[in-house]
This record gives sequence, C-alpha cells and structure tokens, in this order.
Amino acid sequence: MDMGFTFAVYVVSAVLFILSLGGLSGQESAKRAVWYGIAGMALAVSATLLGPGFGLWWLSLVLIAAGGLIGYQLASKVEMTQMPELVAGMHALVGLAAVIVGFNTHFELVNIASMDDTAKKMLEGFSALLAKKSNVEINILRVETTLGIWIGAVTFTGSVIAYSKLAGKVTSIATKLPGGHFLNITAAILSLLSVFWYLNAGELLPMIILTTMALFIGYHLIMGIGGADMPVVVSMLNSYSGWAAAAIGFSLGNDLLIVVGALVGSSGAILSYIMCKAMNRSFVRVILGGFGGISGPQMEIEGEQVAIEAEGVASVLNNADSIIIIPGYGMAVAQAQQSVSELVRKLRAQGKNVRFAIHPVAGRLPGHMNVLLAEARVPYDIVMEMDEINDDFPDTDVAIVIGSNDIVNPAAQDDPNSPIAGMPVLECWKAKHVLVSKRGQGTGYSGIENPLFFKENTRMFYGNAKESLDKLLPLID
Amino acid sequence: MKIGALKEIFSGEKRVALTPDSATHLQKLGHECLVEKDAGLAAGFSDAQYIAVGVEISTTAEALTKASDVIVKVRPPSAAEVNRLSSSMTLISFFHPDANEALMELAKSKEASVIAMDMVPRISRAQKMDALSSMANIAGYRAVIEAGNNFGRFFTGQMTAAGKVPPAKVLVVGAGVAGLAAIGTSTSLGAITYAFDVRPEVAEQVESMGAEFVFLDFADEQADGASTGGYAAVSSPEFTAAQLAKFREIAPEMDIVITTALIPNREAPELWTSDMVASMKPGSVIVDLAAEKGGNCKLTVMDERIVTDNGVVIIGYTDFPSRMAAQASTMYASNIRHMIADLTPEKDGVIVHDMEDDVIRGATVVNAGEITFPPPPPKIQAIAAKPKEKAPDKTPEEIRADEIAAFKKQTKNQIMLLAFGAALILLVGSYAPPSFMQHFIVFVLSVFVGFQVIWNVSHSLHTPLMAVTNAISSIIILGALLQIGSTSFLVTLLAAISVFIAGINIFGGFLVTRRMLNMFQKF
Repeated sequence: MDMGFTFAVYVVSAVLFILSLGGLSGQESAKRAVWYGIAGMALAVSATLLGPGFGLWWLSLVLIAAGGLIGYQLASKVEMTQMPELVAGMHALVGLAAVIVGFNTHFELVNIASMDDTAKKMLEGFSALLAKKSNVEINILRVETTLGIWIGAVTFTGSVIAYSKLAGKVTSIATKLPGGHFLNITAAILSLLSVFWYLNAGELLPMIILTTMALFIGYHLIMGIGGADMPVVVSMLNSYSGWAAAAIGFSLGNDLLIVVGALVGSSGAILSYIMCKAMNRSFVRVILGGFGGISGPQMEIEGEQVAIEAEGVASVLNNADSIIIIPGYGMAVAQAQQSVSELVRKLRAQGKNVRFAIHPVAGRLPGHMNVLLAEARVPYDIVMEMDEINDDFPDTDVAIVIGSNDIVNPAAQDDPNSPIAGMPVLECWKAKHVLVSKRGQGTGYSGIENPLFFKENTRMFYGNAKESLDKLLPLID
Repeated sequence: MKIGALKEIFSGEKRVALTPDSATHLQKLGHECLVEKDAGLAAGFSDAQYIAVGVEISTTAEALTKASDVIVKVRPPSAAEVNRLSSSMTLISFFHPDANEALMELAKSKEASVIAMDMVPRISRAQKMDALSSMANIAGYRAVIEAGNNFGRFFTGQMTAAGKVPPAKVLVVGAGVAGLAAIGTSTSLGAITYAFDVRPEVAEQVESMGAEFVFLDFADEQADGASTGGYAAVSSPEFTAAQLAKFREIAPEMDIVITTALIPNREAPELWTSDMVASMKPGSVIVDLAAEKGGNCKLTVMDERIVTDNGVVIIGYTDFPSRMAAQASTMYASNIRHMIADLTPEKDGVIVHDMEDDVIRGATVVNAGEITFPPPPPKIQAIAAKPKEKAPDKTPEEIRADEIAAFKKQTKNQIMLLAFGAALILLVGSYAPPSFMQHFIVFVLSVFVGFQVIWNVSHSLHTPLMAVTNAISSIIILGALLQIGSTSFLVTLLAAISVFIAGINIFGGFLVTRRMLNMFQKF
C-alpha cells in the first residue's frame, strides 16, 4: 500500500480520537466514545503495519499482543480506589516510550550520516525520510527530538514518583532536597546547554546528560508536592505525556502523533486548570509545592467538638427528609463506598431525598469520587457537582461528611488569613445538622484546623468510615 | 462526692432534680447519689427505681443534707433548707438571686456555695445546662396542650362526611424558646400558626418551624437581640403602638393566643389588651405564660383559669413544667448532671469549683461564704454573631455596566492573546522551513480542537477522560513501529521495547476506561 492510503487512514483515526474525547460529555455517549477510541487506535496501528517500508510486522504483532495481555491483566484486576496509581503508572509508560523513540531517532540520524549516497537510496520508510532532510531540517529535527526526550523523561520519573506517592510507597509529604528549586533551575539550565551542545556536535553524550537532568527534574519536582495536590499533578503529567507524543510526532514527521499528542496535552492542561481553580491556587504555586503565603494569624476557633454515637446518627437520619453526602479521600482510604451505597439505598427506600455533593478536588484524581460511587452502584443522577448543589444546603436536614476536610472548611470563606482563603468550598454547615465521619480529632492532609467541626450543628462520628457505617447500617429502619 | 436530691416542698411542685438515669451518669463521674424518700414519686420515679441503680434513700431532709456534699433541687430553697447547709457544701438549684438577697446572705453566713441554674450564661457551650431553656421548652409545649384541652374544636382542618371543619388559628406572641416550642407543637397539631416577636431576626426561625411571622409596618429597626444576651429589650412607644394596632386587627380571627413575652427583670409588657379579648370569639383560649410576672394580658389571674364575660378562656398557670413532671424532671436532672460534669473536670468524683470558667463563674452566686452576684459579663460574647454588613444590592444599570466591562476585558484579553500567538507563529514561520510549518499548523489546530472538545467533558467523567487520553497517547507506538524495521540492531531492540510498553498502555487504558464507564448507571 502506498503512503497516500496510510495518510487517509490517519485522518480517519484522528477524527475518531476527537469524537472519542468529545463523547465524554455525557455518561451515555461516553460508552460509545470508548469504542471510537479503540477503533481509531486499531486503524492507526494496522495502517502503519501495512504501510510502505515496514518490516518485522510479525515481531511487532507478538510484542503488542504480549503488552496487551499485561495491560488486560492490570486493567481487570485494579481496584477502583487504586485508579490514581494506575493512571499515574501508565503515564510513566508513555513517557518512557517517548524517551526511547527519541533516542532511536538520534541513532538513525547517526546511522544515516555515516552512509554514502548509494546506500541512502536503498533505504525505506522512516530512514528514507530522514535521509532526504536538508541541514536546517536536521537541526530542527534535533531540537524536536531533544524536546520529546526531555518532556518524556520528566513525565517518566514524575509519574513514577506520583505513582509511589499515591500507592503509599513514598511519603506523601512534600520533601525537597537541600537547595530546593535552585536544583531544578540548575538542572533546567544544564539541559538547555546540552541542547546547544547536541545541535553543534550531534553526539550521544549531551543527549544522555539532557536525559539525566530531565529525569532528575521529574523526580525532584513531584517529590516536592504534597499528597493533597495530587489531582493537579496527575492531570499535569497527563498533559506532559501528550506534549511528549506531539514532540516525537514532529521529529518523525507523523501528523497523527502530532494531532493526538496535542489533544491529550490540551486535555491534561484543561484538567489541571480546572483543579487549580477549584482550589483557588495558581498552577505555578501548586507546582512549586506547599501552600501559599499566610498573611496573618488565623482565626481562633471557639467551641468544642461534640461526638456522637451510631445510635444518635441513626435517629438523626431516620428523622431527616433531605440528606446530602459529601465524600472525600477518607472514604476511598477506608474502602467505604459500598457501605455508603448501602446506606443510600436504605435511606432512599424510605422515600428520603438523598444526594451526593462532589467537590472538584475531592480524592486524588479528577473525578475520583464519581468513579468510586459508580463502582458501588450509586446512580449517577443523584451525584451532583459543587455548583449544582451548593445553594441547596440551607434546605437540607442533614449533611454527612465522610472523610473530607478542606473542601468543607468554612475558614475558606470566613477567615481571610486562612491558607485556603478564597477556595470554593461546599457550604455544608448551612444544613440543619452536619454529621462528620472522621478517624480522629486531627487535622487533614493540609494541616489546617477546620471550624466546621466546632460548629453547634456539627456532630463528630469518630472512627474508620467503613466500620462506623457498618455499625450504623442495621440501625436505619 | 455525695450528691443528694431533696424532695420539693413547694406546694404543687412535682419535679425532682435527680432521676435514676441522671444518677447513673453521675456515678460514672465518680460521685455517689442520695435521694430523699419519695422525692421522685410525683414525677413517676419510685424509690425502688432509684435503689435499683444504686442510689441511697434518706428518710428525712435533715439526714440527707447531713450526708451530702452537694445538694440539688428544683425550686429556690426555703430559709430552712439554706439553714441546714454547712461550710464546704454546695447547693445547685433555681435561685432567682435578684429577688432572694436574704437567702444569699444566709448562705453566705453558712459559708456554703450556691450555684443558681437560672444564672447559667446563655452561650453555646452552656446550652446543655441551660435549665431555663429546657423548662421554657416544656412550658411552650404544654401551653398548646392546655389550650387544646380548653378549646372545643380540632386544631387541624378536616373535610369529613359530617361536614367541613375549619383549622384553628393560633397566634404565638414572643418567639423565645417557649414560643418556638409552642409554634412547633401547634403546627404539628395542624393549626394555622402565626407568630410575632419584637426581634425581627427571629422571623427566619419562626418560619423554619412552619409558622407565619406577623410583620409590622414599622420603619425603625429594633435593637438586635444578640446585644442583650438573646433576650428581648424594651420597645419604643411608637413601636408598641404599631404592634398593638396590628394585634387589634388580627385579634377577632384568632382562636388561640399564647403569649410568652418576658423582658428580664421587668414586669411583663401588656400585649393583649382587654379590648382585644373582648373582640375575640366565644370559646377562644388565651394562655398567658407570663402570668408570674403580671401577665401579657391584664385579665390574667395567676395560677387560675378564668372565663371572661364573652366566653374567652384565659389560662394563667405558672406551673407548666411541673404539670409535665416526668419530662421536666428528666430534662432538669440532665441539665444538673451536665453542670456537675463541668464541675468534675477529671471525672474522679472531686468537685473543682473553677471560678475562671465563664459558665461556672456566671452561675455561682455564693462561693464559700462570699457573695459573687452579679457576675461580670462573660468573656465569650453572646450567642449570635453580629450581622455582617451586606454590600448594597447593585442596581440593574450597575450590573449591566459590570457585564459590559467584563465583556470588554475578555475581548481585550482574547485580542492580546491572538496577537501574541500570531506574532509568535509569524516569527517561527520566517525562520523554519515549510516542511516544519505544515506540521506546525496541524499541531496548533489540534490544540484548538482539543481545548474546544475538552471543555464539554462532564466533571464526573474526568477520571475516565484521563484513562482514555492515556490510552490514546500511546499512539506513540506508531513512532516505535516506524523505527522497528531499522537496519541497526540497537534501534530495532529499543523500538521493540517501546512497542511492548505502548501495547500495555493501549489495552490497559481502553479496558479500564470501559470498566469505569460501565459502572456509571442511571437510577
């Protein structure tokens, strides 16, 4: 088959990919959208396999099949609560692949440079494409390749660290090496210098230095970001993996790679933007780690935390007509989503109006809570976004906070000196009663005291979320 | 410490300050409990019930007082009761220190301590021991029940086979604790309930209980109740006139009127005048909860039920809590228990009279032979925060102007961005070769398409979005596939590795997305 046909197939798959992302605007159309994506991928891969100048297709097929088998195993075994880890881990794979492909481009370049003209004419496929390039084009190619490798390497180590943090293998507290961001800047400058070196010399050594620097930046940058900011980090890495693919697309002169890389890159960028906005923090601040400047003493909190037992919770719930549940990372940690779902089923069976309020940054991944609730078979039409439900709290009898803290912190609105001042929060304290299921009296991930727990209409239901709920369930009649 | 509950000697008083339930709680704090013989009988707690939870029974008040360290009771003590106190003893009861100076002096001379339950400051932390509120709550409930007992019709409107029954109309004047309790009871019985209070800020509470707030046409704002510790203040003459005019207007329609208006340390204000009573229908009922302080209606006779010439029943009982002795005792005993719990910080049965504690300081009127009344103002201010100053609502013109300004700003931003972007691309284009520019155009357009498409993705699908973008970003496999046929072994090997890795990603990403999406289900 000739090149024209391959390009035509690329156009079709690009359209399919766009449809696949666009289809995610609704739950029903999303089920179709995945198939668009799968079809696009299948077309693109088979067109490349059948395309001109391709050898070793049997090996490729075997490798794809082997990789696919592992992917299948991973995907079917993963728990929904581990989704953030899985996504971060898969970003690492894309980053690694980008690095390898980038290095290969370099090797091919060196290879071709050593050939004479007659040998060049014998080449096929990608090598043939390289051989035809003029000097300026080769320089641009080198820039593109280094860019691809650099982004890919940052994505790779960054994702590995993000994965380890989410899986609890590395501490989720922000830690930096002595020197902090100075190290990152030095590494970035060294990378830039090696790009110039590489452009002039075209040797392997500057490439390796560049890659090492990028690997270090990825590691150090993500180590310096705390666990609570992981939604931003994961979506940022998502974006990077896209840009890496696009950069590699440039260096290979492959438009489909460019299109898909740009789609993924912009998708990740938008997600990061949404997450940052939900936390009322600038992207730069999140990436630089730690919370923003505190401008004065925080408000003193008056009152005491009043505890409540399962019996008390049950009687409050039995008497309520409208209930809003606010889940957070604590629910995911305690694996309590099934118990929550069971509670909701029982309460709904009594004709009560039960809904969920999801803050955009609840959990460790954008949309994390939605997936957990969906896994526990909570119907998605009672799961609301913050903006949809925030005005309903004053008319609500009971708000149940399960394992969330900062996203329901009234200090964000009341205390201009709070580190989270100005962050949009769920105004659950406006409900008649607030029940908070929480492990103990400590502060949350961010270490900020939460005045909600001291409010008069708040009762603290201490204990592991799952155990507490399981104690509560038989008492709901 | 030993805590002893005296039998009430005030005639008709049925309440008791210690119940078997509260006794078990006190025992957990390390205290021992005693009760005078038959103290709880009138409230439905027999001596056997007390004995069952380990409470000792004393036959006489003298013996009990002698054996106890802390005396608890309900009504203010008589001189004889105070006389029996000795040094280091503590008495906890209602006391009304304003009116009982002689008793305070007597307690002082005995070197005893007195904690007055009616002096517990009205702050959030002290609500659990606020006996005035819990008694007022009962009084409000009972007022409606008494009214119903004397009212010859249903509360709720009904359409029956025997004809139509109109619903009763109830007016509650004064929306304090008692008033709100009365409103709640009355609405739950099905009556149409109206309520009035001089503090306009309680309108919201009234409406939350299901009653309709009676608003006056009166411009001046009333003093904020929060500044007077949550109680009503004296109204201006103009306000009073407007209020009476409104009452006069609605009096003929009302079937039941419950007045609860009290101002601290003053005679009850006259709110329901004789001419309003005269204009009411025969069979209507007035319950005057302010009877003890002279009544909100001047026709009220304290502790009596009277019928006026036009057939309106006026109830002036002052012992509503005692009429529900079981409930009242349970709640009062629980208030006492919370007070003692605060006095026993270590839960070891040792009473620590901490005069630094706002609540204990406020309630203590005599401390070990020293009169400590009146207390200094509490350190923590009032129950309600000051109302926040609201920004004045914007006029439609201002809103429109804001919108236009925002739109202009947005347009300006977009033009700036576009100009900047265009300049950047022109710069690139003037140096880069055409083959690069072709790809570059594709890249820029894809970024645009990406931005447009992703904004529409619903929030709840962000995780599937990440999984699917992850899967399709393994399109990088194309690069590896193109390189795998290279003549160099190293290139082939590396390309093979990356094909393998991307393969994991393609299948893993799509499968996990499908798994997630299949879980989303409509109800």
